[in-house]
Amino acid sequence: MMKVLLIEDDAGTAEEILAELSELGFDVKWASNGIDGLDKARALDPDVLIVDRMLPGMDGLTIIEALRKEQVGTPVLVLSALGAVDDRVRGLRSGGDDYLTKPFAIVELIARIEALLRRPADSRGTSLRVGALELDLIERTARRGEREIDLLPREFRLLEYMMRRSDQLLTRAMLLEEVWSYKFVPATTNLVDVHMGRLRHKVDGPGEVQMIHNVRGSGFILRAQQ
Amino acid sequence: MRQLIRSNTFRWATAVAVVFAIFMIAIFGFIYWKIDGYLISRSDRMIAQQLNFMAALPRDRRADAIADHLGQDSRGVQYAGLFDPAGNRLAGNLREVPHGFRIDGGAQAAKASRIGQSPSGDPLIRAVGRHLDNGDVLLLGRNVDETREISTVVGQALALGLLPTLCLCLLAGVWLSVRAQRRVEEVNERVQRIIAGDLSERLPDRKVDDPFSRLAAIVNGMLDEMEAMINALAGVGNDIAHDLRTPLTRARLSLERGRTHATTLEQLQVVTDKAIGGIDQSLAIITALLRLTEIENSRRSAGFGNVALHEILREVCDVYEPIAEDKSIELGVDIDRKLHVWGDRDLLFEAVANLVDNAIKFTPAGGKVGLELLRSDQETTVCVTDTGPGVGEQEREAVLRRFYRSDKMRNTPGVGLGLSLVTAIVKLHGFRLVIHPGSGGRIEVVCPDKANGPNLPPR
Repeated sequence: MMKVLLIEDDAGTAEEILAELSELGFDVKWASNGIDGLDKARALDPDVLIVDRMLPGMDGLTIIEALRKEQVGTPVLVLSALGAVDDRVRGLRSGGDDYLTKPFAIVELIARIEALLRRPADSRGTSLRVGALELDLIERTARRGEREIDLLPREFRLLEYMMRRSDQLLTRAMLLEEVWSYKFVPATTNLVDVHMGRLRHKVDGPGEVQMIHNVRGSGFILRAQQ
Repeated sequence: MRQLIRSNTFRWATAVAVVFAIFMIAIFGFIYWKIDGYLISRSDRMIAQQLNFMAALPRDRRADAIADHLGQDSRGVQYAGLFDPAGNRLAGNLREVPHGFRIDGGAQAAKASRIGQSPSGDPLIRAVGRHLDNGDVLLLGRNVDETREISTVVGQALALGLLPTLCLCLLAGVWLSVRAQRRVEEVNERVQRIIAGDLSERLPDRKVDDPFSRLAAIVNGMLDEMEAMINALAGVGNDIAHDLRTPLTRARLSLERGRTHATTLEQLQVVTDKAIGGIDQSLAIITALLRLTEIENSRRSAGFGNVALHEILREVCDVYEPIAEDKSIELGVDIDRKLHVWGDRDLLFEAVANLVDNAIKFTPAGGKVGLELLRSDQETTVCVTDTGPGVGEQEREAVLRRFYRSDKMRNTPGVGLGLSLVTAIVKLHGFRLVIHPGSGGRIEVVCPDKANGPNLPPR
């Protein structure tokens, strides 16, 4: 069972997160302040940390810095009501960890935790394969079974990202950040949907089993099997 | 009164009066000194002449001449004395040769004792003495008390001139300081009213070209600016409240209805989805507002670097092409050449994306949206054009206002903060946003090579 440590001072928020994560089968522990949080992080050795930015006792980023200094590489999801235009956060993001601005949808939180727990497929290979779908990273070509798929560069990029994280819920915010490196919420809310629609049209041909699934209100999943 | 004495104007007036008085006294002193010198030298010359005249007379006529000389002197200012070599008086009204008197023909001051006068009242006279051919000594003198009269006259003239001048100075000082104090008092009263919240109050402006009026005009200009700003802020506050309330009201209504009427899980889910939609819209507004504040308050240029504008334009085009296609809008990008500016890549991307987003939103199906990168002498320009309704002359300022949504576009979804965000980003970089009025929208982001925004690039 995956161990999750939540360091969050607001009891109401913590309660919801704890309930949701336990239901999904995670072993969740909770610390309500920074000092206790750092102690628990050292003692419990969790698989993933969820840390609030502003905490009584010790700032969330300080906890992470302390852990990193001790060579603890546990992936961290930072929660914050503060904006993300912050150098320290930029640094954090580049370190492979994630940042979620409050308020957030609970599905978004779950998707981010799963993404942190499941490192993407090895990126050194020259091709990717999910079910019948195959992507040649050198030739930049795609095929589904025998059928060639003609992709635009932006569609190729999107599909590559999804294939590296197959069977994983990818929220719109995640796709915007990772595929288009958006650091803000676009004014056009269906931006991702339009792009996904195009890609799905090409990937899931007529009469074929659907591979790209739209999870209502949450995001998209690329599944190998039905 | 104490305030008056303490006032600066009054102090200066007093100081000027004192300096003026010292100056006047010095002038009058000089005049007195000069006149005195002139009169004494004239009288010295006269007695010297008379002495020579008498010395030239035959010996037997000298006593008579002296008596004549003294007899003609009705004012009693003349002194004369003829003494034998032993010092005994032979003629004249001088009792003796004054002690220490130099008998050499030169004029000098001496204390003279007159016959028939007590020695205590001996006046100071100017006198000349000389030895005669038979060894006698002849002394002639003149009382110079007249000069004292002159000094009295001079003193009176001084008093006559000085006193009124001093008074005038002080009066002027009092008048000026009272006037200044009244104006300060007036300004103070009005400022108090402004502090109390009456923003339409202004300082008195007499339309005269004096420093005080000019200062009042400057402060009034500042107050105009502040009033406009505060009113705009209040407007924004109202807009925020309104824009937040509308979706929240919708959420509340559907939740309330669902709670009463929903009988199945599906019905409840529909209701909840609606409510979440409303809440999300409110949150989107708050997020956009916070982002706006974040950018506006950002004084850092830590994220600044050399940004390839042509790449940003291509990326934005790449992102929006499918959106435009779905609306049957042709999205074209025309890049002159590779151009770089100093800035924050993410923010510039956001600005261009927002402009293109807007352009696509406001352009009807079948229209065109163009993205151009132009280069002139000292400027790089990103230009977004569309075939939409464009921005009317009277709307040009309004579109930059927060939450502004053209009436024509009331029903277009959006938060109404897009252009405010672009403005904030453009300002942060020291660039300019130019909105061309008229049919067919045309918005330019002008990036001067020497941008003088809050974040000057370290060159």
